[in-house]
Order: sequence, then C-alpha cells, then structure tokens
Amino acid sequence: MVGSPFTPDNGPARILAAIVESSDDAIFATDPDGIVLTWNRGAARMYGYSAEEIVGRSVTVLIPEDRAVSEIEARRQQIKAGDHVEHDEMVRRTKDGRLIHVSVNISPLRDPDGHIVGAATIARDITEQRRVERALRSSEAHWRSIIQSAVDGIVVINERGIVEAVNPAVERLFGYAEAELVGRNVNVLMPAPYHDEHDAYIAHYLATGQKKIIGIGREVTGLRKDRTTFPVHLSVGEMVIEGGRKFTGILHDLTERVRMETRLREQSALAKLGEMAAVVAHEVKNPLTGIRGALQVIGGRLPAGGKDAAVVKEIIGRLDALNDLMTDMLLFARPPQPKFASLDLVALLRGVADLVRQDPTMKDLRIEVSGSGPPVVGDAELLKIVVQNLILNSAHATQGKGIARVSAAFAAGAYQITVADNGPGVPSEVRDRLFTPFFTTKARGTGLGLSTAKRLIESHGGTIMLDCPPSGGTVVVLQFPVQGV
Amino acid sequence: MAKKSGSLDVLVVDDELLIRWSLSETLAAAGHMVTEAVDSRSALQALEDAPRPPDVVLLDYRLPDSNDLGLLAAIRRIAPGAQVIMMTAFGTPEIERGALELGAYRVIPKPFEVDEILSLVLEAHASAGR
Repeated sequence: MVGSPFTPDNGPARILAAIVESSDDAIFATDPDGIVLTWNRGAARMYGYSAEEIVGRSVTVLIPEDRAVSEIEARRQQIKAGDHVEHDEMVRRTKDGRLIHVSVNISPLRDPDGHIVGAATIARDITEQRRVERALRSSEAHWRSIIQSAVDGIVVINERGIVEAVNPAVERLFGYAEAELVGRNVNVLMPAPYHDEHDAYIAHYLATGQKKIIGIGREVTGLRKDRTTFPVHLSVGEMVIEGGRKFTGILHDLTERVRMETRLREQSALAKLGEMAAVVAHEVKNPLTGIRGALQVIGGRLPAGGKDAAVVKEIIGRLDALNDLMTDMLLFARPPQPKFASLDLVALLRGVADLVRQDPTMKDLRIEVSGSGPPVVGDAELLKIVVQNLILNSAHATQGKGIARVSAAFAAGAYQITVADNGPGVPSEVRDRLFTPFFTTKARGTGLGLSTAKRLIESHGGTIMLDCPPSGGTVVVLQFPVQGV
Repeated sequence: MAKKSGSLDVLVVDDELLIRWSLSETLAAAGHMVTEAVDSRSALQALEDAPRPPDVVLLDYRLPDSNDLGLLAAIRRIAPGAQVIMMTAFGTPEIERGALELGAYRVIPKPFEVDEILSLVLEAHASAGR
C-alpha cells in the first residue's frame, strides 16, 4: 500500500492489506475532494497508472473527456451524505486512452469518530463481459431472425410433448396463434391415430432410445386448426438445454409437391388411357357399325310394323347407347386439342339451353340464362359439351323438374360460367369423388360428365369447382383465363 | 363416269365383314354394282382387275395393312375419277383434314345409317367432274 493514512499496525489489518493488494479488482481510496489516497495493484493493472503516478492526483483523470464532471460530482455528494454506490456501471479511460467498462462499488470511509474522510472504491473491469453479452445478444437476434423468417415450421417440445415454442411458419401452416399452441400437447397438430399415440411414441423413445423419426424425418399428416389435413415432411432433432431434453421438429409443407405428383400421375395415367381408348374405340365401333348396318338391312326386310321389326329397332337403340358410351369415354380419355376462337359466351349458353330444351324429357326443366361480358376466347364445341353436361346434371338433380340457372361473367381477368340448380345438393361424403371418372350418383349414367367437363375446362387452362351452399342446391363454377387466339 | 342406267360401280373396302355385307346389300338393292375388298392389298388388286375404274370408293381408314392416308393417295392416283368416301371409327380432325386435302369427297364417322351411305354415294357421284 502506498501513501495510505491507514497504515496497518496489527496482524488482521496486515492481512486485510494483503487481500486488497492481491485482488484482481481495482481498489483505491480517495479523499472528499476526489484525490487518490491509495491505489492497489489491481487498479494499476486495470487503469494503467502506477500508484506513484496517480496518488495525490484527482480521480477525474480516469473519466473520459466527453463525460460530464457532474457525473462524478453527484456521486461524491452521495458519498458525503454517507450513502453507498453499488454495482454502478460506467465507462473509464485508461492511461493509454482505452475506454473500459467498469462496475463499481463506492463506500464512505469514516474515521474512528464516524466522520466521513473519503471514499473506498472497488472497480471491476466488465469490458469483456459486456462484449460477450453484446455478442450473445447479437447472436441471439441473428438466430431468432433466422427462425422467425424460416419458411418451414419449427416446433420445440419438451419430454412430455408439450409445446414450448413455435415460429411464425407454424402459425401460418396450422392456423394457430403461437399463444394457442405453447403449453399444449403437440398432438393437437396431428390427426388420429397419431394424435392419440404421440405420447406413447415419446415414452417409447425415452425408455428404449430407439429412434423412429429423430434424425431421420418422414412424411406425416398435419392437422390444421380448421380440422383440414395436409402432407408435411417432419424431421426431428433432439437437444439438451438447461438439463432438460427437448425435441425440435422442422415441418416442411408438402401440399404443393404432393399436388404436383398427383397431377403428374394423373396425367400419365390419362395419357395411357387415351392411347388405350383410341384402340378400344376403334375395335368396338367398327364391329358395332357392322352389326348395326347388318341389322338395318335385315330389319328392312321384315314386315313393317311387325313384332320383329320393333325388336330390331330396340337392338339398334342399344347399339347406339353403346356407341355413345364409347364416344363419351373417348372424349374423356382423349379430348381434342381446343381450337381457340372468339365467341359470344352468353349466346353459346343460350344455344346449349335451347338444345337441351328440345329434348322431350327436359320439358319441365326451367333453364335461365343470364350474364354478360366481353367476347370469350375458347373452343365453342368443347365449351358447349361442358355446359351441356352441367345442365344435364342439374336436370337429373332436380328430377327434370327444377331450375338450372346458367350465367356468364368476366372478373379478375378470367371468364366465369356458373351453373346452379335448386336440387337437393350433393352429400359431402361423395363430393370429393364427383370428378373421378366413372363415379356416378345416378341410377343410369356413365360417370363421365363432370370428369370430362373438368378435362375440357382444364384444356382451357381453367378450373371447375362444385359447391353445395347452405341455401341449397348445387353450384358449379367454371373459370378459365383469357387466351391469346 | 355415270352410266345411263344410273347404276354405279362402287368399291367397298373394309375389313369388317358385316359392314361390307350391309353396304353391298343396300347398294345392290338400289341397283348398283359392288366390288368388295378386305384390305389395302386387295383394294389395289381390285382397281387393277376392274375393266374400268369405280365411280365411288367407300374406304375404311383403318385396315389390317394400312393405317394412314397412303391407300387414299394411291386410289386417287390410280383412279382420279373415282369419288372416295372415307369411313372412320376414330377420326381426328387431322385425319379428316388430310383426307380432304388428298381429294376425298367426305369423311364420315362410324357408326352410320346405311341408308345415308346410299344417298351419300349418289351425291358424291353427282358432284363428280364438277
């Protein structure tokens, strides 16, 4: 100790002096005016001034020039009043001009009579600590932004399957807000049977260490808040944080990929079907033509008005039905390339309505055509087939006695045709299958009407949607974009 | 070239026996002379053997030894005066256009009304040489 007025003269005081001297912290005393009285080795190391250099000088030498002297003055008043300063963080300047962050405790020094005769300061260099904290903060912000901005969903669960954190992608994918998920079992995101079995999966893993998904990943089914499901690739990682085991699930939405794969499979199946249908159609239609022709010749030789002539007529009717089926199949399996031309959509709808009205079995069906719009670019023949199929469906849905409302519109760059009826609607359990070829709800029907309509409207780059609104009936909406001619 | 009696020479080319039979019966009943061929080879043979080219040819698009417009082209070359009515069970617009470009009088889809074929044959012949 140098220049101290508290020169130790007994054992315990000497020990205390040794402790002070060996401390890594800077420990020094100042008089009421801030003049340095003592200065330990820690202070010399931290500030760069030796005791000889600084004792007798004001501590303000440690204060950076841009800091107000009032800062230290306020503290001095505090000490004079007998208060302590604890863990106050401040910036100080070392002898070589470096700025360091220090945490200081300042206590008043009293003489044996209790008068304040100065202050004892213990200062710790926290520059490195601050730097690490800052780096951590910045690193955490970095990771947080990665997780927040990730396209894939990230879910963290604990060993009991309870959600601890989710990122915004999870909210987007599943339709839940973060607050709705945190604290709940992660099985809310899964449909049955996984919903009920997930706890057992974790328990099994924890008991046996057998990894079925961790580190592997697989395609699973996600359950949204609105109870719809979607395909998702799930990969699970395991981590140990603060002594607890946690699992991180990364969820990649496969909806689009599965849709594309399904579409490709369908297209390839349809291409094969198209090739097959062309061959089958020829192999069936050719003999059909022969049978029909021969029957016509033979029928013409039978006495007119006789019983046999009537049977021949019936047979020919059956053959024509078979031929129509072949034609329908061919149209579905091998639709012609659309030939685009400008056409008046409302006039086309009226034309189809008139054609349907000519059918005697349709005399009780009311067909209402409405709408307007610019000229449409499309294949008139194919659009007629589509609309006719839909009107016939309306007729069947209403037992031929209802109303079919057919309308045309143009909105958002797309043409729209709507065919709505006032029938009983389609039960929701079969609605998904309506566009499957050969699926029919009718006692007599090929099941090709809607699937062909779908193919033909798709050949216009369009879509077909069927809905049964709560108000009743069935509404089919066709949409197709504007084509270049 | 039409004969004064109104009787036409018609060549029916189809591999389906019942089609040939029904067309022949119908045409013969109307007083026309019918020659039958079952494939491309026999059709060309029939053209070669005939003392004069037929007035009308009823030609199936798809035959065991022919599945393109080659036979139509050959018939048009050998017997340019003959009117060819092409019959097809599965005619694409491309086939129809190609046939018409090669000079076919008409392309008709199968199945058809045999009586309509009869009137179509007469119509085709009547338009010949115009």
